[in-house]
Amino acid sequence: MKILVCFKAAPNVEMLLEEDWVINNELQVDTSFVRNDLGSYEESALEMALKLSDASDDLGIPLELNALTVDGSGATPILKTLSALRFATVVRIQPRNNLLFQPTAVASIISQYIRQHALQDVVLLGRQSDIGENAKTPLLAAEMLGWPCITRATRIEPADKKHLIVTHQVDDGYAREKVRMPCVISVGDAPCTYLRKPTLRDRLDYGKKDIEVLTMEDFQLPAETEMLTGLEILHHERAGVVIEGKSPAEKAKVLYEEHLKPVLSGKEVKR
Amino acid sequence: MKFKCILNGWAPNVKAQAEELNSFMNSFLGNGANPASTILFYANHEDRHSLPGLVPTECAEFVRIDRCQPETILEALQRIEDKEDTSLYLFPAGFAGAELAVRWAFRQKGSSLVQVEQVAPREGCLIAKKKAYADHVLAAFRLTRQPFCISPANGSVDRLPIAARDNLQIIEHDLTGLREDAFARDSQRIPAEQAKDLGAGKFLVVGGRGLGSKEHVKQLKDVAAAMGAEFGISRPVALNAWGPMQWLIGVSGTIARPDVCIAAGVSGAAAFYAGIEKSKIIIAINSDPQARIIKAADVAIIDDYKTVMDELLKILKPIKPAI
Repeated sequence: MKILVCFKAAPNVEMLLEEDWVINNELQVDTSFVRNDLGSYEESALEMALKLSDASDDLGIPLELNALTVDGSGATPILKTLSALRFATVVRIQPRNNLLFQPTAVASIISQYIRQHALQDVVLLGRQSDIGENAKTPLLAAEMLGWPCITRATRIEPADKKHLIVTHQVDDGYAREKVRMPCVISVGDAPCTYLRKPTLRDRLDYGKKDIEVLTMEDFQLPAETEMLTGLEILHHERAGVVIEGKSPAEKAKVLYEEHLKPVLSGKEVKR
Repeated sequence: MKFKCILNGWAPNVKAQAEELNSFMNSFLGNGANPASTILFYANHEDRHSLPGLVPTECAEFVRIDRCQPETILEALQRIEDKEDTSLYLFPAGFAGAELAVRWAFRQKGSSLVQVEQVAPREGCLIAKKKAYADHVLAAFRLTRQPFCISPANGSVDRLPIAARDNLQIIEHDLTGLREDAFARDSQRIPAEQAKDLGAGKFLVVGGRGLGSKEHVKQLKDVAAAMGAEFGISRPVALNAWGPMQWLIGVSGTIARPDVCIAAGVSGAAAFYAGIEKSKIIIAINSDPQARIIKAADVAIIDDYKTVMDELLKILKPIKPAI
């Protein structure tokens, strides 16, 4: 069973200060000075793949983990970590330009990679990146591959060589289903799926493996039918009145008398 | 611009989904200005009588299918949508809506956008806006290829009740038996723990990562209950499994509209803030004066959340707030 996890590291924009939020001429916010992190859904996808590998080992089902990112060289430290976590192949495809708002292009690259370079049984992706928030790449990849898609997965277990058992969120709770491969799985809000750390030994033994880098010469890009035309910074500021007091009890009393009491007594609140 | 609403009659919140689409239509597509109809999927004969009350348009097609998988709905849509004269499909904001919008657009060689806040039809294209950069930015897109397939953002509009219609025109389809060879089998439904409608509460307490443990989350929930408030959690709390996912407040959970929201131990990430920004008054309690939530609140207390909440409970418990 071959599992490909597709991911992208993104700048942690919660570290930006208010004055850093400026839109440049290329319709982007400059985040070049902020550390890149794995998005929460992508981190969950990688850890769920490792958990699936552990469980498959226990059942004697052979499983190969692979990782792919369409990103610049800034992704190298994460790819080396994945090598140390014993992903069999780690591949980086160098894009020609920023694909932040081009999920069709990213999905097309992923599907071409699978068809032309390394056929897989399962493709695992986060349901959306924290920055682009397109929420389309797994769905488009499934359509381009002609594979079914399970969305908002929270747990993946091995069943046998041709099937997985996937628990995923649906409108009225969760569904647990036996799923035939090949398929695309998009990962949702999965508790307790923080990416594990490789041991020092594994970093030394496996983390120095070469990362395969492909260029866009190997891929055709489709025309995007959704064009970004503008960005507008959203401001979330309110009055931010800080209640002073000598003790928590005094502050709680001021909060009640001056701010809560009018609302609790049914008086209209105006912002 | 001819458009169609797509509704999934299985979803337990189908009425809320229908009312949100009704509001979205009225806000951005003009009430009755564009020819519109609704395609409503359902499974059971006994549900059929309640379907007309869910239709926000003058015409409807009721489609009976026997599996609620998106694969089945897409195949059914392919069977009944053969004229290719629809310019815009509106899918609901729920889990399935966003998935169907993207996949249906791909199959129809159209364009799609999900988690949409606003749309504006233009000559030959559609301008649609949605949040990006972890909800710090509103991004505008021009969709150029019809049909345009849109799914609104969770909570982007208030619900608008659907008016009863005496002259609703209905076409019926029975497409049971589609996709015998389904790729997913042995499906077991695991209902979520029955949660109150957090979005409807008037007094809300939300706990964030600063609570530090599952035990502290439970303690704060008990304090909230004693105050007469609903209780929610931020995403880091849910991802640490300190509380169930259905208590989640924020873009991937509930968008709340309370009169009062107390955010305790919450940092104030934009994706969380979207879940409380419609509150009339936001009160932040946090020991970190630099936390983003302080400036985003109306009122803030810089202190240990637990002590402040215990003191506030001493005042509120005898009063028993009526909201």
